[in-house]
Amino acid sequence: MIHFYHVTKKFDRYSSALLDVTFHIEKGEFVFLTGPSGAGKSTLLKMILRQMTPSDGQIVVNGRNLAAMRRSQLPFFRREIGMVFQDFKLIERMTVFDNLSFILTVLGVAPREHKKKAYTALRAVNLHHRMNAFPLQLSGGEQQRVAIARALINDPLVLIADEPTGNLDPELSLEIVQIFAEANLRGSTLLLATHDRELIRSSGRRVLTLEKGHLLDEHAAPAEPHAARGGGGFVNWS
Amino acid sequence: MNRDTVVARKEPAQPPSAFHYFLREALRRMWISKRTSFVAVAMIAISLLILGAFLLLSENLQRAITRWQGTSRVNIYMEPEATAAQIEGVRSYLGSSPSLAHYTFITRAAALQRFKSYFTNLDEVVGQLDENPFPASFECQVTPRAIQSATFERDIGAIRRTPGVEQVQFDWEWVNRLKRLVNIVNAVGFIAGGILAIAAAFTIANVIRLTMLLYREEIEIMRLVGATEQIIRGPFLIEGLIQGTIGGAAAVGLLYLFFELSRRLLAPSNAMLWSFLFVGFLPWPKIAGLVAGGTAAGYFGSWLSVREQRNESGRP
Ligand SMILES: Nc1ncnc2c1ncn2[C@@H]1O[C@H](COP(=O)(O)OP(=O)(O)OP(=O)(O)O)[C@@H](O)[C@H]1O
Ligand SMILES: [Mg+2]
Repeated sequence: MIHFYHVTKKFDRYSSALLDVTFHIEKGEFVFLTGPSGAGKSTLLKMILRQMTPSDGQIVVNGRNLAAMRRSQLPFFRREIGMVFQDFKLIERMTVFDNLSFILTVLGVAPREHKKKAYTALRAVNLHHRMNAFPLQLSGGEQQRVAIARALINDPLVLIADEPTGNLDPELSLEIVQIFAEANLRGSTLLLATHDRELIRSSGRRVLTLEKGHLLDEHAAPAEPHAARGGGGFVNWS
Repeated sequence: MNRDTVVARKEPAQPPSAFHYFLREALRRMWISKRTSFVAVAMIAISLLILGAFLLLSENLQRAITRWQGTSRVNIYMEPEATAAQIEGVRSYLGSSPSLAHYTFITRAAALQRFKSYFTNLDEVVGQLDENPFPASFECQVTPRAIQSATFERDIGAIRRTPGVEQVQFDWEWVNRLKRLVNIVNAVGFIAGGILAIAAAFTIANVIRLTMLLYREEIEIMRLVGATEQIIRGPFLIEGLIQGTIGGAAAVGLLYLFFELSRRLLAPSNAMLWSFLFVGFLPWPKIAGLVAGGTAAGYFGSWLSVREQRNESGRP
């Protein structure tokens, strides 16, 4: 589902944010991406969405080679991916409902279904009572949950989240991971970047670890035992 | 659905819900930047108002010409010493020519009589004349259709050359001059209005460009979540379209207001000179044309600015 082949990303001549990164995530997997601040996690996720292009190497997502993809295909490709951005990227001028309604418009959902879908998605993150608030009227954690609701709203093929629990207390973080796990059971492939060691440990999922742009060998990663490749999404966890 | 077969997927067409969104967004954005929207609308309104004023002027000139032509007359004056046979010659020529068939013959005596009845206070002067100075004449009523007919000019020429005919009077020079004036007024109106409308379209383009700059971050977000350029541009195009249409409608409204005001204020004092300019307002097709011109200018403006927005996503 997500394949990186020797991907390198340089922002300047002297250093690289990612260096020769190769990994494969199969359909239905639920994978964590971790590493210290500045390790290149956001950079890696942005390249999956083709928000950035690699300096070198190949990326294949949902069967599409991102380098070869035509520009006109890009919006349709992005619709298959739900992304929770580290900085949320909510449209500040629109209410919570309009933010979700906009995505549904983009996805071609009929207007009469917007209310119901938005309500369901917001209830999952326990924010259904803030439907008419503007993003700036919400706390950081609440904005983050709106961003999660937006990413989940139409069961994307691939769900990518950049620090989705960064602004949440531990209890809520567990709840959010539970929501992600449910989306995973419905068929979404997940890649979730986080600093939260505890969260990773308690979930027992496969972990990719970045350090200074290098992908560490999975078995050397400081995480707990993880699921095998290919079937990770259906491993039990409690 | 097999979620793995994704390479050659058929892409969906424009989402059905998009138009609702376009309209709502366009109205909301116009409301948020009321002042710039107002400038755009005003520019369109002013340029179309000027075009409309010229159209209205030429419309009324045209009407005056038609009315004037409706009561046209050709006067054929015989020489004072014209013989009865010569007069009969003209009479039979007129009878055989369809465009001049409606005529009245005025004898010299009748002409004198008529003069006396018009200018009763000149009786004395007339009494002192030893001879009747008035020639006999034919007065032909001609219809506008007859004037436009191909044979009309030839007939006039033939009568002019007929022996015994002193002079043929017809004010068609005037008609032609008026027609030329109408054409000039129309051309000036279209050129001035056209230049202004293009200027207005560029104003709208700038307004939309500014709005797009204002929403740059938002547009980037929209692209990241999979919005096509169509969806991103839709509200901007609709915004230009609405601004242009409002501008066109405002131009018609203002023109009507000015027309009515000047008809009431100007006309009575200078009736002869002005009344023919205030016969009526523009006909419906021209009103619709003005409004449509506004719509087109607005859409063109936003299309201009939207087109140059390059897709910036996918950049490092
Ligand atoms: N647009 C950019 N231009 C230049 N350098 C960049 C850019 N984006 C990221 N970098 C650099 O690339 C490196 C990796 O950044 P990245 O945002 O991927 O880290 P991260 O792992 O997501 O960190 P964090 O956990 O703090 O979010 C950093 O050293 C950063 O300074
Ligand atoms: Mg980051």
